[in-house]
Amino acid sequence: MLVLTRRSGESIVIGGEIVVTVLEVRSDQVRLGIDAPKSVRVHREEVVRQVEAENAAAAASARRATDLLGKRRTPPRPDQGGPVQPVRKPGHDTAG
Amino acid sequence: MTPSEPDDVHPDAAGDHVITFPDAIPGFPEAHHFVLSDLDEAGTFQLLTSVEIPGLEMVVCVPWSFFPDYAPEIDDEVQRDLRLERVEDAIVFCSVTVEPDEEALYLNLLGPFVVNAGTRIGRQVVQPDMGLQVRASVPVGS
Repeated sequence: MLVLTRRSGESIVIGGEIVVTVLEVRSDQVRLGIDAPKSVRVHREEVVRQVEAENAAAAASARRATDLLGKRRTPPRPDQGGPVQPVRKPGHDTAG
Repeated sequence: MTPSEPDDVHPDAAGDHVITFPDAIPGFPEAHHFVLSDLDEAGTFQLLTSVEIPGLEMVVCVPWSFFPDYAPEIDDEVQRDLRLERVEDAIVFCSVTVEPDEEALYLNLLGPFVVNAGTRIGRQVVQPDMGLQVRASVPVGS
């Protein structure tokens, strides 16, 4: 990690285009201003981590959620072209 | 295709909807393409299945089914990025998580997926600080 020391009112430039400015320094908080192209997304880090973790949790619970909420995944529809593929259906019957 | 084909949902089958996330999704940087398929007959829940990553899938749903006042921010930059002429052109859905031993579903209102209905290009839009929950609970049975 690159570590720089800045005072209130000073800035750093990232990638030539992104400017981070220290607006105000308090004992336990720093207020930062970010100037960046609109295509660059800026978020609080913990929020991004929360979304990452929840994507993983949703993926991990997909089987539970599918069992709870829906019919079991259906086999390929008969109107699809090509050979019929074997389908993993543990204990499944056609009553679905 | 061989009998060892791992998926029983075929991403390129006619009628399936392939969604493209050019920037993938947080936590899964290689997951750029997904199939969205219905999960229940009422159409309340869908299954978002990764094309690139075998076994990666999640249940999703339209958040207004359970949170009618949900108002995620889809700002000018997202609209421009996804070429949304109107916000109404967007399909919005949120991931659903189920924890074992709990009678509740959790919707990720902090990171809705926003997809242009016409181009099927979208992204997961991390929300600004508005108090939206990454796990908003919905009791099962509601």
